[in-house]
Amino acid sequence: MSTWFHLLPEYLFEGLTRGSMYALIALGYTLVYGVLQLINFAHSEVFMSGAFGSFLVIHSITGNSAHPSAGVVALIIILGLLVGAVTGALIAWVLEQVAYRPLRRRGAPKLAFLISAIGASFFLSQLAGKLFGRLSNRGFPSYFNPNHLLFHIGTARIQLFPLIIIGSAIVMMIFLDRLVARTKLGRSVRAVAEDAPTAALMGIDIDRTISRTFMIGGALAGAAGFMFGTAFGFGNTMGFTPGIKAFAAAVLGGIGNIRGAMIGGLVLGVVESVVPALPAIGTSWTDVVAFVVLVLVLLVRPTGILGEKLGRAA
Amino acid sequence: MSSPTFNSFRKNPLVVRLVVCLAGGVVLALMWGSQEGSTTDSAHAFTEAVLAPRIVGFLALGVLVWALISFWPRVRPYVVRPGAWPLVSGVVTVGAALFLMHWDDQVGNAKFSAVSSAVADTSGLAPLVTIYFGWLYWVGLLIVALLSAATIVTRRSLLGWIAAALSVVMGVLGLIAHSTLLDFTGGIDHSTGPFVALAGYVVIAAAAIAAGTSPEQVAQSRAFMAGLFGWRPGLPLVVVGALATIWALASATWFSPQNSNLTLSDTRTTFEGTGLSSLAVQYLAWLGWVSLAAAAVLTGAASYLRHRLLGWIGALVGAVGVVLTLITLYDISDLGAQNKFNSATGPWQNLGIGGWLACLGLFLIGSGGVIAAITPKSASGGATAEPIRSVLVPSRLRAAGDTLTQYRSLALAGAALVLFYPPMATLFWQKVLVIEVGVYVLLAIGLNVVVGWAGLLDLGFIAFFAIGSYTTAFLVGALPRKPPSWLHLSPLLAIPFAIIFCLIAGVLLGAPTLRLRGDYLAIVTLGFGEIIRIIAINNPGNFTNGPRGATNIPHPVIHLGPIHVTWGLDSLPYWYLLVVIIGIVLLLFYRLENSRLGRAWAAVREDEVAAQATGINATKVKLLAFAIGASTSGVAGVFFATQVGYINPDNFVLNNSILVLAYVVFGGMGSLPGAMAGAAVLTWLPEFLKDQVPSDDRVMWIGAIVLLMMILRPAGLIPAKRRKAELSGLQGTSSAETTAVPASEGL
Amino acid sequence: MSALPAASPAEVVFDVNHVTLRFGGVTSLNNVSLHMLRGEILAVIGPNGAGKTSLFNSLTGVYTPQEGSIMLAARPGDHPTSVIGQKTHKINHLGVARTFQNIRLFPALTALENVKIGVETRQKSGPISAMLGMPWQRREERDSTRAAYELLDQVGLAGRANELSASLAYGEQRRLEIARALGTNPGVILLDEPAAGTNPAEKRDLAELIKGINVELGISVLLIEHDMKLVMSIATRIVVLNFGEKIAEGTPAQIQRDPAVVAAYLGTSAEEASEQASHQPQVRLIDIDSHGSEEGDQL
Repeated sequence: MSTWFHLLPEYLFEGLTRGSMYALIALGYTLVYGVLQLINFAHSEVFMSGAFGSFLVIHSITGNSAHPSAGVVALIIILGLLVGAVTGALIAWVLEQVAYRPLRRRGAPKLAFLISAIGASFFLSQLAGKLFGRLSNRGFPSYFNPNHLLFHIGTARIQLFPLIIIGSAIVMMIFLDRLVARTKLGRSVRAVAEDAPTAALMGIDIDRTISRTFMIGGALAGAAGFMFGTAFGFGNTMGFTPGIKAFAAAVLGGIGNIRGAMIGGLVLGVVESVVPALPAIGTSWTDVVAFVVLVLVLLVRPTGILGEKLGRAA
Repeated sequence: MSSPTFNSFRKNPLVVRLVVCLAGGVVLALMWGSQEGSTTDSAHAFTEAVLAPRIVGFLALGVLVWALISFWPRVRPYVVRPGAWPLVSGVVTVGAALFLMHWDDQVGNAKFSAVSSAVADTSGLAPLVTIYFGWLYWVGLLIVALLSAATIVTRRSLLGWIAAALSVVMGVLGLIAHSTLLDFTGGIDHSTGPFVALAGYVVIAAAAIAAGTSPEQVAQSRAFMAGLFGWRPGLPLVVVGALATIWALASATWFSPQNSNLTLSDTRTTFEGTGLSSLAVQYLAWLGWVSLAAAAVLTGAASYLRHRLLGWIGALVGAVGVVLTLITLYDISDLGAQNKFNSATGPWQNLGIGGWLACLGLFLIGSGGVIAAITPKSASGGATAEPIRSVLVPSRLRAAGDTLTQYRSLALAGAALVLFYPPMATLFWQKVLVIEVGVYVLLAIGLNVVVGWAGLLDLGFIAFFAIGSYTTAFLVGALPRKPPSWLHLSPLLAIPFAIIFCLIAGVLLGAPTLRLRGDYLAIVTLGFGEIIRIIAINNPGNFTNGPRGATNIPHPVIHLGPIHVTWGLDSLPYWYLLVVIIGIVLLLFYRLENSRLGRAWAAVREDEVAAQATGINATKVKLLAFAIGASTSGVAGVFFATQVGYINPDNFVLNNSILVLAYVVFGGMGSLPGAMAGAAVLTWLPEFLKDQVPSDDRVMWIGAIVLLMMILRPAGLIPAKRRKAELSGLQGTSSAETTAVPASEGL
Repeated sequence: MSALPAASPAEVVFDVNHVTLRFGGVTSLNNVSLHMLRGEILAVIGPNGAGKTSLFNSLTGVYTPQEGSIMLAARPGDHPTSVIGQKTHKINHLGVARTFQNIRLFPALTALENVKIGVETRQKSGPISAMLGMPWQRREERDSTRAAYELLDQVGLAGRANELSASLAYGEQRRLEIARALGTNPGVILLDEPAAGTNPAEKRDLAELIKGINVELGISVLLIEHDMKLVMSIATRIVVLNFGEKIAEGTPAQIQRDPAVVAAYLGTSAEEASEQASHQPQVRLIDIDSHGSEEGDQL
């Protein structure tokens, strides 16, 4: 037990790293939930596509291994984030056009959306498997050492890439916060989330706003995909587990609430890192933590930490 | 900047549609084929799929679809003419028979192309065989199809009759060629290609007749079908059954030791002078034919004259015929086993399809009699009108009774197939039927209660399957922790325990989540499914035996008084156990659907607020659905565990939950026959196409099918009446709102 | 405000006391108090947005007021029970049935099945007896079918029993909703704008139906309605809401004369209206018994 306390800073740092990625993915869920009131089940495949997209581009540049200079490494990482974001946005857009829009036109019941999303999710992940191989844990090209130790904070080993992950996630979240709060697009998103018919009456193009919302969420998830792939490896089924955990994070923070998703992601990441390290529990139960959190939240405070944006009581 | 013309070009619906169709063609190209991605060459699969000549075919397909959609209004008048759709489906059926089905199990991969080339290389075959397998098969089809198409366009009845006659001739020729070939190659044969082709040709014949003689401009196929069955209730069944039995008695294989195909008469000769029971001897000699004649005449008369008593008598005779056939089969095979024919170890071995086909036919004849007996006289008109004309003029026959007769006939025909087709199938297919089709049909029926009737999305359905399996494993002592000795049970007795545990688990899972939104339920159930699997792997308390799972689960046994039944490794007996289980479940659920709870589910699903205002406790009703679905899954788990004999956590992955959902969605959410059909088709299809489609791709195709279904035909293959309108979104109001009052109601 | 008629507690169906309901920044009911007496037809009127449907939703447990109390004694001999905090279906079991402003039937079920659902919520047999086909379940099934037919007959829909409720005409749908509500054997029925969108002939039939429900079946009726002619012809008493507050309560005659009501509908202030009223003969806002005029009845 004392080891646990001793190593707590390390667990916290690791938790923040995971949590940043969960937060980015959770933002996609929460954004779509805000405007459409439905869970985008296929969001996990958007995440996955970001990993694959960025991999393909980086691989074509560096091959399987290369040793570029630090400056070039930085460029490659930025490129990876960009390509991941673009791929994610693209796949999210296609998803909206194919799996959701026809159902929206028809006024289909919620169940239909969920099932359509499930079909799309499985189709995408299996198609990726067919196209790129079904190995579940491939590595990104090793063009730098992601675990390069930078410094210590207490017993926490602050390594290079985890720090990059946390840093870029924070930058993206600030960017999103600004986008939603200050720009015209952000206002449209908030208006549609609040009251779609009235927003339409005010002249807001609902279809376009929804489309763009999907793309924003997709970009964030895609970038997270790149980071996840570099840090942990990737594969066609990589989206499934992080997807569910990110959803749990979104609910934890308050579904539909953007800041809630950010906080929920970070909190869940930390809890997931800290709790299984307890001697009584063990890391084989790591994946269960998120579900337990989800069920507890639903039982105790269904509206999440920060509550939901509208007065929709569960 | 885009110019105005470019913008209008971009927004032109025809252009957009073309782009979408072409993109669809590309995606299809990516999906189709055996190319697989490799980790060393990322572009490999893509290049092989798309940057290859075959992309032209896919793009052409995209253009074709685009043209069809865009110019549909011009095409439509031709397509809705009487006979058009049946012609297309008939030709497709024949094509499928020629491309996909088996024509002779002894030759190569048994498909038509292999047989055809083998025949070309062989001399000394009957001329019919050489001609048919050489060129007649496609020339004949082409001629028949063209003639029928001409009939559709010109509407001349003489042409139609000619085309129909030629079509039937083609079908029969195929059958004769096949059976002649079998005499040559010998061996036990289970091929069904010729029969499917015959069915296709019959449909084409019907199409030609309808096209030539129908006075209507537009086909009313549903009324036609109902009319056909309702004109003389039961008669179609009698006719088909009689034909099948005649074929069985005349030329099908009854007994086949050491690769000799013995027909009925050959069997009689073979068993002459052996100690075969007199009943069997007489059956082989004349009793078989006489039962057929008696049953067919009685039921045919009952059906034509609409005489109810006669119908019951005919049904009885048919039933007796079935029993006689079964006894005969038992006697022959038992005697054969005693004489060690072909190293047989017991009865029911070395039998060909003949006996079973005879049972099937006699059952159908009997069913025809039942239908004739239970259909009241007033159900349909036109009793004295000229038969074909009256069927083709739908307006006179559009009575509800005709549709009911149609459903009943189809149901009885289905029962006949369920009972008597599996013994005729190859061992491979028997295994598929038991392990895949049967289990998933049961699972689909259970999930249909949750998703279809109550409208709850349960993605962790497989977890209850796991609970059922592990309960069985525990109670038979196959897990590390043994049950107390008084609780050590035979596998089938685990069923009530599995039901109870699944009920409890379902309630525990559902109670906190069901009072919340439906979309949360999906994720929570998904998580639950994963948690169960992780628990099974992590093996807390050494209960589940970790990734190795439980082995040595005994097969079922029944020791009830004088009844001793055991199951072993043979698949066929499990099928009949499954039929009993599914039959019981179907009866229970059918009653449930039309009861108070069934209606309450529909109410809650359509408008929860109104349902609650009318006094329905929505949470309790949903919980009941959840629990009932869960226990069905548990029963399936028991069956699976005891049939396969070993289980491990890999049997209970999420993919399987999603597959069951896909089957229910595809078949028709909320309809019992739909769920069964969906499961049957989608478990059968991958096995049927396993040479064309790699098994790894199965989930991909199913995901695409689910997606397409929800976009194009959300009500499924066999829509549930209660859900069709709702799923197609034809109502304006959103039904599953949990907000109290729509915005327009005002504060 | 006119004085409330004295009533013993057992005679009060709904006792609404100082109820306040808020949504975020909007107060939809502000300190509303009213009694509903057994056997009466109480009409709730007021301009759009006055809080009428919110009142209904509070009475049926859909909304939970932040302040105040609502006591219910739906059937004769019932003990008053608090409504606040109860679930909607429980309140229905206590004897409160309702219809909806926008007609909320079960569209894919037949008319008969819609009413059967109402009747069946009072039954006892569960899924197990249904699956096993137990005799008592079959009997309950036959009973509910018969009871539903009778109810359909009472509202004049017996001929349409086996049609999908979505395919019925608008007026028929309204009557079907009432039949379904009656199936739950209520002591009080809440009708939310039952005459909306109906033509004058249908309105007359509706008035007959409501009076029949009230007099022959002994069910108290709480009615939201905009059609003044209908209200004045059948209501025993009227409550007037405006901006979430009760501004008047009394008999139809009293309400007609009430200056606050006139002001609310005509937009003048209460004082002005009162002055006008005192200087002129009684303003006949509504001509209840004139059969000629079909228009201009709505305020």
